[in-house]
Amino acid sequence: MESFRSLTVTQRDQILVEQQVFDIFKTFYNLPPSSQSFMLELQRENHVEYLTKGLTGLGPSFCVLDANRPWICYWILHSIALLDEFVDPELENNTIDFLSRCQGPNGGYAGGPGQMPHLATTYAAVNSLVTLGGDKALSSINREKLYMFLRQMKDASGGFRMHDGGEIDVRACYTAISVASLLNILDDELVQNVGNYILSCQTYEGGISGEPGSEAHGGYTFCGLATMILINEVDRLDLSSLTDWVVFRQGVEGGFQGRTNKLVDGCYSFWQGGIFALLKRLNSTKEVKPIPLGDGEGSGEESPQTTTSSDAAGEEGLNGDLSLGGSHSEIGDQHNTSSQDNVIDIDHNHSKGHANVEPLFNSLALQQYILLCSQELNGGLRDKPGKSRDHYHTCYCLSGLSVCQRSWLEDEDSPPLPRAVLGPYSNLLEPIHPLYNVVLDRYREAYEFFTKS
Amino acid sequence: MHGRPRKAPKPEEEAASVAKAQKLRALQTQFFSFHHNKIYTKEAVELSAKLLEINPESYTAWNYRKLAVEHYLSQPDCNPDWIKSVLDDELRVVENALRQNFKSYGAWHHRKWVISKGHSSIDNELRLLDKFQKADSRNFHAWNYRRFVAESMKKSEQDELKYTEDMIYKNFSNYSAWHNRSVLLSALFEKKAEGFLSKEKVLPEEYEFIHQAIFTDPDDQSGWFYHLWLLDQTVTTDSPLLASSWPGHGYDVFLVEDRCYNGSAFSPFTALHSDSGSFPIVLYFNQPVGGVSSSTVTVECGFNKNEDLLWKPLSASNSQTARVWVAHLKIPSSDLLSTVEVSAGHSKGIISTRGFEYSHPSMFSFKVHVQPMERDFSQVSVAESISLREENFKIYGSQSEESIINSFNQLSIKNGHESTASNWRSEALAKEIECFRELLSLMDCKIGKLTLARLLMAYDVMSYPFANKLVHSEEVLELCSDLMKLDPTHYQYYKDEHSMVLLQKVTSSKESLLQHCFQYKDSVSSAICGPICLRLNNLSLSRMGAFEKLLWVQMLDLSHNELQSIEGLEAMQLLSCLSLRNNKLRSLTALEPLRKLKLLRVLDISYNQIGDHSIDTTRYLCSSPLSHSVGSESNKDETVTSDVALIDNWEAFYIFKDFNLNQLEIVGNTIADEKFKSVLVKIMPKLKQLDGKLLG
Repeated sequence: MESFRSLTVTQRDQILVEQQVFDIFKTFYNLPPSSQSFMLELQRENHVEYLTKGLTGLGPSFCVLDANRPWICYWILHSIALLDEFVDPELENNTIDFLSRCQGPNGGYAGGPGQMPHLATTYAAVNSLVTLGGDKALSSINREKLYMFLRQMKDASGGFRMHDGGEIDVRACYTAISVASLLNILDDELVQNVGNYILSCQTYEGGISGEPGSEAHGGYTFCGLATMILINEVDRLDLSSLTDWVVFRQGVEGGFQGRTNKLVDGCYSFWQGGIFALLKRLNSTKEVKPIPLGDGEGSGEESPQTTTSSDAAGEEGLNGDLSLGGSHSEIGDQHNTSSQDNVIDIDHNHSKGHANVEPLFNSLALQQYILLCSQELNGGLRDKPGKSRDHYHTCYCLSGLSVCQRSWLEDEDSPPLPRAVLGPYSNLLEPIHPLYNVVLDRYREAYEFFTKS
Repeated sequence: MHGRPRKAPKPEEEAASVAKAQKLRALQTQFFSFHHNKIYTKEAVELSAKLLEINPESYTAWNYRKLAVEHYLSQPDCNPDWIKSVLDDELRVVENALRQNFKSYGAWHHRKWVISKGHSSIDNELRLLDKFQKADSRNFHAWNYRRFVAESMKKSEQDELKYTEDMIYKNFSNYSAWHNRSVLLSALFEKKAEGFLSKEKVLPEEYEFIHQAIFTDPDDQSGWFYHLWLLDQTVTTDSPLLASSWPGHGYDVFLVEDRCYNGSAFSPFTALHSDSGSFPIVLYFNQPVGGVSSSTVTVECGFNKNEDLLWKPLSASNSQTARVWVAHLKIPSSDLLSTVEVSAGHSKGIISTRGFEYSHPSMFSFKVHVQPMERDFSQVSVAESISLREENFKIYGSQSEESIINSFNQLSIKNGHESTASNWRSEALAKEIECFRELLSLMDCKIGKLTLARLLMAYDVMSYPFANKLVHSEEVLELCSDLMKLDPTHYQYYKDEHSMVLLQKVTSSKESLLQHCFQYKDSVSSAICGPICLRLNNLSLSRMGAFEKLLWVQMLDLSHNELQSIEGLEAMQLLSCLSLRNNKLRSLTALEPLRKLKLLRVLDISYNQIGDHSIDTTRYLCSSPLSHSVGSESNKDETVTSDVALIDNWEAFYIFKDFNLNQLEIVGNTIADEKFKSVLVKIMPKLKQLDGKLLG
């Protein structure tokens, strides 16, 4: 035991983050109610301004993202859509033109004009165009060629390659299947054996890793789960151990970590939070319950925690290269088929007390983390206090916030109760389709468009 | 990019980066022209390296370099030295790129590609990895690459294991290192490498090792997860086993075509009413298996040919693996006594979901007696209704106790050969139990309590078949109750555990089980000896379990519990009468397991919460609306489309259409208004009684 006596680097880093976060919470709780509600307010205008600026021109420091340009489009456009804002028509046209120039002659979208097509950027481009909506954007996608591109990326093993000669991983499977599903070109050829590949990546922890043998990771778990739902093979996953794994990822800060014993990061508000949105729809007859091993869902003061965390500076979200997606679920439509007799006054639930429309994670604690710790008041969102804002984190913090605000609801068409939304009710964001992470209305428009054509 | 520190730039930095961007743009234009024209001169290739040093994510440039390498290597004057220098160049470019961004997918992938050409030294790669893993010990790209290098360059797992040990000594919170340890050990076990032939020697050492981390800081989560893996390794036997069956070995099964049998001649436990012309054979495995079929399980009897037996998996999902499998054996038409022999696993093909073969062939046999219908009573039996009122239950005395003794002892299938092999497992668990008791005596730690509870349960389950009792159930129940108080956010989870342990306890001995067995006899019944009802009411159960010991149950009272789910109940294939009155079922789809109970005739789901919640969280599993195949799947019977009410009650239709009920109680649920009841009557034309009212 000698050798383990002092704090590990991981533990030290974790303590530092906790101190920072708890200082913010302490300050917040000592404020008068009026200032509190200001601090919890989502700075819509500032976020929109920050985002719009990114769409018109980015500084030279962005050159490392040069192979990821459709991603920048998606992060920004999706964030703007979540805030229920629009981009002006000229900018919209320019974006469509730009993305068309990324579209390869043999299908798929590249990281920029002249580069080779890549699955992740194809996903980002398609989601961007769906988010823009309208005939021009949607019809700019060459679905036949895109389908051929997806077939070329399909490996004999069942998985997908990111690009010609590129790596095979869960991201690639997700982006391929998501795009195919959204564009209504998913078929048995594409689906074949994808499920086997994803299954081979579920680890004993319960989560899903990027490739076989690796450790479970929030982004990949989202991708793997969404893929399995999209190909209708989700039953093959060990869902209860997956749930056990993901409930542990919420730490005392309220936010999520991406892997066991790593630091909290705002972007996992979506990667992990989105998993709950998906599980909520799957929970069959079984009530999936969190295994309490460690941190569980703490909100601040509660419980000595177990989340210690990461060693060195880097967390990885699945930066740039993956995102998430949706399915052919007519989430909305299906509701119409539900029993009319079921529709009763929602306050009824309240009187029943703990009636278990409750989410499996602490939604308010996560909202608190996003609003107080991830939000920069002058626009943009970030990983954690002390880091700077960027479009990636803005996109995934906001997506996570939207999921949270509706975590009590099953029905994205009805607005959540005020108590489900932390801060002023004007914080309420647009609902997303959790399988694709595009705003629900835009998904429906695209669904209709691609079903007809 | 994500995860790398950012600072606001100073003016001079800004100017520099503008220049950098311009340089990049120029480089790029030139690069594309080389690439598109397939130019692989030295100058062109060097230019791509410059581009990659600035932006390692430029996957197009990596692919260009692959093409260039292929081009060089296909030259006629190519010799080994030349090849080596070309490949070394690549490795250098990758290393520079990784220095710029060690999370670049493209760069790591390119390196793998180069390495797979051979000609590289493993020492070099390990040196590079050491550097990157020192800088970020959790970088999953580096760990992935490490596994790749170790495998492709034949570095021994033992050496790698040593490496994880060093990493853990440096930082025991490094979960990536613990994880890699589990991967390596699994590989060594599988290979049966020297020193890893059996887990018996290795696992105790691992427990020692993990204790150091856990005891140093019980709040650090890495160790606990690794401990969970160890526990799983200790408990799980690789090959699946048959845990129980119905009928059990040595059973005398009386098949009665008439419900009003005068039971004195038959054991109420093994007499089965059947009006469908067949009876089920149920196999219950200790883990989900696939491949149960007439070629892997042989059934030999006088009246049936084995090959037309169809084995079906019983699970909530559509998968082809399940713990429980059922086949229906046709009953011969005439009065007959026959012996049936069932043997499983004598030929290969039953495989667990983890890929292990069922390797302990087992056989059981039972006798079947057929009692033909006595016509006179047939009318009575149809009109008769079952009322699970308190006054209709008589304590099941010792009158024919021997029958339950017999059946009870025959419930579990013993695997004698497992007992000796498992000694070390129980010993390891006993040692862990002692160790965590000690930890808990020093501090109050909820993860410690949970782990202790799991260890105790595992220990009991492992020693149960031989000890025939659960030694620790009281202690585990206490720990669960403690945890419910200590950790209210996870109350429901502990409550479920509590329920499972309680059920294990109730079913663990014939004495305790008999306390819950009652004889059903209502005032109007003509039967002298009524059926036996297992009453597990009023136990505040939140979940149902111990199915492997309850396969014989035909009448089950689960009323006045807190059940939200009845998952697993599909295993109880003999159930004909079930009360779920006064529970917390919240949706129709929660009844899904009952669809698989073909003998179920009487169901009481009154006073639940069905319809209380405007939205049914469980809806989505029904024909999976989230799936791409929706629409192709046609559930839409003519009855549905022709009747608007049924379309509105899609779930009710989906759940109830397969039921074969005579009698249903649904009163006391929000959903159960008159309109809904009229829908039910349409869906189930055979229903004779609804909420106590006879149907015309």
